[in-house]
Amino acid sequence: MSVIVDLPPTRPATERPGFLRRLFADYGQELVVLAAIIVLFAVVMLVNPRFISANNLTTIFAGNAYIAVAAIGMAMVIITGHIDVSVGALIGVLATISGTLAVAGYPVWIAWLAPVLVGMAVNACIGALVAYARIPSIVVTLGALSIMRGGLISFTGGTWITDLPPAFLIAQKSVFGLPVPLVFMVVLTVLAALWMRYSAFGRSLYAIGGNAEAALATGIPVERRTVAVFVIHGAFAGLATILFATQLQVIQSTVPPNLELTVITAAVIGGVSILGGSGTVIGSTLATILFATIGSALIFVNVSAYWLRAVIGLLILATVLADMLRRRGRL
Amino acid sequence: MTAAPYVSLTGMSKSFVGVKALKDVSFDVRPGEVHALLGENGAGKSTLIKMMSGLYSPDAGTITIDGKEVRFASTRDASAAGIATVYQELLLFPELTVAENVFLGNYPRRPGGWIDWSEVRARTRALLDQLDTFDLDVDAKVLTLSVAQRQRVEIAKALSKDARILIMDEPTASLVESDVQRLMAVVRQLRERGVGIVYVSHRMPEIFALADRVTVLRDGGYVATRDIGEVDEAELVSMMVGRPIDSLFPKAEAAIGDTVLEVKNLNHGRHVQDLSFSLRRGEILGVAGLVGSGRTELALTLFGMTPATSGSISLEGRTVSITSPRQARDLGIAYVPEDRGQQGLVKQMAIRKNVSMASIERFSSGIFIKAGEEAQRALDAVKRLRVRCRNIAQPVGELSGGNQQKVVIAKWLETNPKVLILDEPTRGVDVGAKAEIHTIMGELVKQGVAILMISSELPEVLGMSDRILVISGGRLTGEIDRADATPERVGMAMTAHQSGEAA
Amino acid sequence: MNWKSLLRHETFLALLLVVVLIVLSFQSDRFFTVSNLLNQGRLMTEIGLIAIAMTFVIATGGIDLSVGSILGLTAILTGVFWQNVGLPLPVAAVAAIAVGTFAGFVNGLIITRFTVPPLIATLATLALYRGLAEGISQARSVRGYPDWFYVLGQGEVLGVPTQLWILAAAAIIASIILAYTRWGRTVYAIGSNEVASRFSGLSVEKTKLALYTASGFAAALAGVIFVSRVSTTRSDMGTGIELDAITAVVLGGTSIFGGRGTIAGTMIGLCLIQALKNGLSLAGVKGDGTIMLIGAVLILAILASNLFERSGTR
Repeated sequence: MSVIVDLPPTRPATERPGFLRRLFADYGQELVVLAAIIVLFAVVMLVNPRFISANNLTTIFAGNAYIAVAAIGMAMVIITGHIDVSVGALIGVLATISGTLAVAGYPVWIAWLAPVLVGMAVNACIGALVAYARIPSIVVTLGALSIMRGGLISFTGGTWITDLPPAFLIAQKSVFGLPVPLVFMVVLTVLAALWMRYSAFGRSLYAIGGNAEAALATGIPVERRTVAVFVIHGAFAGLATILFATQLQVIQSTVPPNLELTVITAAVIGGVSILGGSGTVIGSTLATILFATIGSALIFVNVSAYWLRAVIGLLILATVLADMLRRRGRL
Repeated sequence: MTAAPYVSLTGMSKSFVGVKALKDVSFDVRPGEVHALLGENGAGKSTLIKMMSGLYSPDAGTITIDGKEVRFASTRDASAAGIATVYQELLLFPELTVAENVFLGNYPRRPGGWIDWSEVRARTRALLDQLDTFDLDVDAKVLTLSVAQRQRVEIAKALSKDARILIMDEPTASLVESDVQRLMAVVRQLRERGVGIVYVSHRMPEIFALADRVTVLRDGGYVATRDIGEVDEAELVSMMVGRPIDSLFPKAEAAIGDTVLEVKNLNHGRHVQDLSFSLRRGEILGVAGLVGSGRTELALTLFGMTPATSGSISLEGRTVSITSPRQARDLGIAYVPEDRGQQGLVKQMAIRKNVSMASIERFSSGIFIKAGEEAQRALDAVKRLRVRCRNIAQPVGELSGGNQQKVVIAKWLETNPKVLILDEPTRGVDVGAKAEIHTIMGELVKQGVAILMISSELPEVLGMSDRILVISGGRLTGEIDRADATPERVGMAMTAHQSGEAA
Repeated sequence: MNWKSLLRHETFLALLLVVVLIVLSFQSDRFFTVSNLLNQGRLMTEIGLIAIAMTFVIATGGIDLSVGSILGLTAILTGVFWQNVGLPLPVAAVAAIAVGTFAGFVNGLIITRFTVPPLIATLATLALYRGLAEGISQARSVRGYPDWFYVLGQGEVLGVPTQLWILAAAAIIASIILAYTRWGRTVYAIGSNEVASRFSGLSVEKTKLALYTASGFAAALAGVIFVSRVSTTRSDMGTGIELDAITAVVLGGTSIFGGRGTIAGTMIGLCLIQALKNGLSLAGVKGDGTIMLIGAVLILAILASNLFERSGTR
């Protein structure tokens, strides 16, 4: 009856790939973005040497650090297989809360702590709706976007918050000669990267994003982790708010339009798969720097301000297409 | 052999939405035995093993471990009690490494709560070595591994939790023969170490080669438990189906006519190299080969999914170039794919809509769908192919594997194909439906359809084919007539040209 | 089961709409007047046209975030082609719509040819098309269109606002296509299982390309109507309209994952949003407060229908 044919193993022993190949396999997209930044710096420097003046570098890195910080949380959310289109509105709300507290005379540490705590609380609600009520995250955050955007404008009536106490403006200060936002960005990116790479929690996010059902069967508490990742994302939004709200003497009641799209794009261009399960927070920070560099470089090579967004859009598109071609080549 | 059972289930019952999935079933596993669990799809095997692994809680019945009654509130409880499961659809995470997959959820920690990554890697290495899997890099991402390698990662994962009982749900369903051999060696080795194994499979040869005892379920009820020495295959099959099955491979005699399909020097990538063959009206041409040998790639090239880079295809003497499935369909080529759930069906859609999907133009006047005609054709197809369903509005996802496969076949028959390519037509299909699908194939060839049948199951290839093509490393390594076909000859050809495949 | 749950969601939504209309008519005398209702219809046409095309796109499991930017680009081009290039206004409008449609075609090309996920592709073109609008307009606005042009956005035909006729026609045609034709069937099949659709010989790529092109066309048409309604063009027109349209579609029961949805649902969702906006503003709530409520309604409606669905099938 038996029709089993005796056959030798079919696959040869796999060799352990070398360090460089492994680095490129694990951080391919991050390296591409890094290379793009370096090339861009080199080219623009040749055209206009003032590009790398300390002043301009501060503008590039410190002025956009809040986007990078928000993108860290966003990367974590997307890695877990979700998305958040409300983060821009959230940052606007948190900035108003923080500024109002500061102007009202509360100690600055309260004005700094409040956005972080409120951000965590708001996103805990969002996370709970996603995890327990099983509403797709894009729907929940679309609703949250309307609620927070509408609420912000009707609450503030469009007025700006002025007369911020100088002690509050932490983003304008320096430590060891480095601007605080830069320090924030680097420290938070490194900590988050290590945590995502080596902690059980971080690894479980990749597992959930890769295959949520399997993660559940493996004993990972998927619902709790989903809420947790949104809460952490809220904390990063709060930290981003501190940098955003304290960089100027005033807080506008409107956040930069489409901030959420910028943050999502940063995460995705940095190599986070929109389908979840892969990517790193290093990539999202590098991509933020790339965008900031592009924006600054265009001014330095005398592109009209009116055409700035078109050129940035074109470059984003080019990066997306290049990434797709690279991935296809690998398959 | 008569050791006390480690785990025993008594009087287990479970209902879903009022339908009894399991009624009063008892089952036990002793340390150091392989206990095979048999039954058609829908017989209640999955429900039973899901209760044993803590995924479902029973409506009635008790589970005892080492004589003490327990309750599993979650998979964690079951795994703490020493029960681990290797599911059919492997629960691995493609972006994580082998070592991470093995220890996910219970990483060894350093004081302070940090994961001890060097310990994780070292212990994974040791576990894989125990399974004689020296060729697997613990740092490789799982997405780069073959199915058989992934399965060994799953087994290592089970062992990492010191499993006393290992449940294996159709572990060989997607393995090639050589990997089945390695898996069976692993199972035997685990048994010697005192692990109790629950082995769910449709494949009789494996059950007779491995099992100590066998339990049969039918329609959610318990049929019998026997020592393997007491039963033979025919008896087991009739216990499963509830009726005797005359012949497993009812080869219908059909008149073989003119050549329909003629393929010359076909090429696509590494997996289709210089293939030439012909297929005649009323003929079943079996295609044998290991997974990765290029069988499915050949089908995809003929079907226009991955168009040929060179070579010629001619249909009824006319040379054609096929660059899309749509074009293949228009030329009279149909393809019933290997991955039914992903490629064959739209599971949420009704049977009616699935049946008309590949020939929707024929059910339309202008751009409007003629709903009445569509429903009529679907009813006919359901009746003709004996699809067991509530009605034609039922979503296909709710049907059993065999009935789903019949819907895929029905969909393609609506296009009146000249050439029907069947890729693993009976994988994951229970014994009864399998015989019915073979009967359908027989009827089709009688009507003059030419069938190209790809199968990993050697008995099926040998039993059904008029002629057998053997492919290895993307090349043709044998063309054997029915009369000359023996397992040994086909097996020899399957492993020829091994060097071509290594990469 | 699918069909039933769908029915349930739409019935639920229609009931909600009726309740809202009754409450609002008690709140304000001016709400339930013919002129007010027709005027509301005028205001929702642009979102409505975009939402109809968006229903198809989302039903295939895709999304189009660039519609607001296409609307802005078309609006700007209408003005520029007419005033700066010197084309006759009808030609200018048609040319601008052609460019907007082409922008949608480019979206489709990026999505089908380069297999870029729709969210990412249209996120990128959202920035690109808005950037082009800004670059072309150089922050100038174009005014002073001839009077006949305002018929489209401000005039009436048979006592009903002109653009409402267009919306009604589009809704009827679209719902027939989605429900009764093989194109509609293909849309649902792609949204439910794209791979199996391809394996069944359906033309997945062509269908998607056509849908994103249609989405671009709808946004472009909405752009011209917008210009005619507000009598001016600015480069920031239509900012955020994609979110309004998506809200209407999802509120209307279209699954964001594809495979499910109807035009009727989308239209009910659209009316519900507009009624809430109008009712609140009549009750003295400022425009931004109504946005808040829409967000809450979106979440609650999906939450409620999720709960109904779960209790219905278990």
